[in-house]
Amino acid sequence: MAVAAAAAWRALQRVGLSRPPSAFLARPGCGAALPRRRLGTSPALLLAARRFTDKHEWIAVENCIGTVGISNFAQEALGDVVYCSLPEIGMKLNKQDEFGALESVKAASELYSPLTGEVTEINTALADNPGLVNKSCYQDGWLIKMTVDNPSELDELMSEEAYEKYIKSMED
Amino acid sequence: MIIRPSMKKFFQLHHVLKIPSTGFKWAPKGGLILQSVSQDIYHNLALEDWIHDTVDLENRQVLFLWRNSSTVVIGRHQNPWQECNLKLMRQNGIKLARRRSGGGTVYHDLGNINLTFFTSRKRYERMENLRLVVKALKALRPQLDVQATARCDLLLNGIFKISGTAAKLGRTVAYHHCTLLCNTDKRILSSVLKSPYNGIKSNATPSVPALVKNLLEEDPTLTCEMLLGAIAEEYASHNHADNHIIVINPADETEFPGIGNKARELQAWDWLYGKTPKFSISKCLSIVDEQSCLDIKINMDVKNGKIETCNIDVPQHWLPQAMCDKLKDSLIGSKFCPTETTTVVNALLRTCADYKLYSKWNLLCQKVLTLM
Repeated sequence: MAVAAAAAWRALQRVGLSRPPSAFLARPGCGAALPRRRLGTSPALLLAARRFTDKHEWIAVENCIGTVGISNFAQEALGDVVYCSLPEIGMKLNKQDEFGALESVKAASELYSPLTGEVTEINTALADNPGLVNKSCYQDGWLIKMTVDNPSELDELMSEEAYEKYIKSMED
Repeated sequence: MIIRPSMKKFFQLHHVLKIPSTGFKWAPKGGLILQSVSQDIYHNLALEDWIHDTVDLENRQVLFLWRNSSTVVIGRHQNPWQECNLKLMRQNGIKLARRRSGGGTVYHDLGNINLTFFTSRKRYERMENLRLVVKALKALRPQLDVQATARCDLLLNGIFKISGTAAKLGRTVAYHHCTLLCNTDKRILSSVLKSPYNGIKSNATPSVPALVKNLLEEDPTLTCEMLLGAIAEEYASHNHADNHIIVINPADETEFPGIGNKARELQAWDWLYGKTPKFSISKCLSIVDEQSCLDIKINMDVKNGKIETCNIDVPQHWLPQAMCDKLKDSLIGSKFCPTETTTVVNALLRTCADYKLYSKWNLLCQKVLTLM
């Protein structure tokens, strides 16, 4: 059992998780990378449902890796994005840390990490085509991928429905 | 009102300013007008950062008025080699600064006024600020034909740009700053905003060149001080603020704890040059050497301001490939900067004992330096 746990921990480290095994076992949600995944209890981790911050970033988690972008509301408010400043792969982020900026119509808007984790990938297509953030903010215009070091933080984010309500309340 | 700990210092300003405490008080709402005594761009930009990071702007607005000695200011995601003449600037002691806001490159001197409008992110509205500036100009000289464009520039007589805008949006706060050309040295402006470097390929935000004119050319009876006063007055009436301009010193660490570090960060090489979006240089250069003229080809990728890859093609009969490779290898990983490259190159040249080869190698190194 101890051997299996150690192997599982090594596997987790490979996918970028940095929590000790006990933390992992205590919260099966992020077992998504392991067979345990099917037994997982956190729907947000299983279905790649987007969850939103009050600063209009979204994150969709699949296999313990979160894909981060900005919402349609945010891209409309920004206008044409002309430059995306994104972090280096491997950068460690705490929830709400600045991880880059989008430039549009002479304004630089800071980007804030929705969760704690490490950057595993950046959308290199944005270098030549920053306008993807406007054209396809939920698909091709994603910004970074990151590990989910603290799955409970996902519960603090808004569901799509709650986010829609939040935007409405802001406009009122 | 939430007062953050570091704000307490900010509250003591009226002692310094000798404005009677009855005349100046921090109301929980409304506007505040600050003017910098510093002409140092790094200190003034640091004050912007300080306000952005420290002051609670939920129910308060701040207008910050500032001027700088001769400086070229590039936008956050710009490439200084593409935007300005760094060599000319170094020769004439003209500073380079990189803003935290977006937008293009501008030239500052004491004939240019800068206005920064701080608000909560919710209340950020550039056009409203520009309307305020136009109103102030009209109050001073009703005959002035000044209009804001969709790009948030201010145009004089429908053609000449007198003001450019940029902004930074943070989590909860935002600022919009703009320039106002009053009496800037246009000769210097146009010569430093012309890049002599070509062959650069980059995704950095490019500037949009414009015809410019000084307000004082239009009306020589105007002064920078009159314009500052008129804008402050308009701002005060618009925001129900006190009509006092509070004079502050952004180099004062006791008033603005932590500001020194912010200023240092803004003048560090890593911010000024290192933040340049990745770019590549591809250039053919001619070398004239004892009546023979040869072409060399240089290709470089520069990431975070450092040379990431480098290729130098030189006719083999002129310089042995091994020497070319040595130069290339020592350049890789070093800063794309004449000071560092000179150091690297001098160390390399010292290893060469053959006088003829030394002079050729030296010629090649000098050529590489012209790219920076």
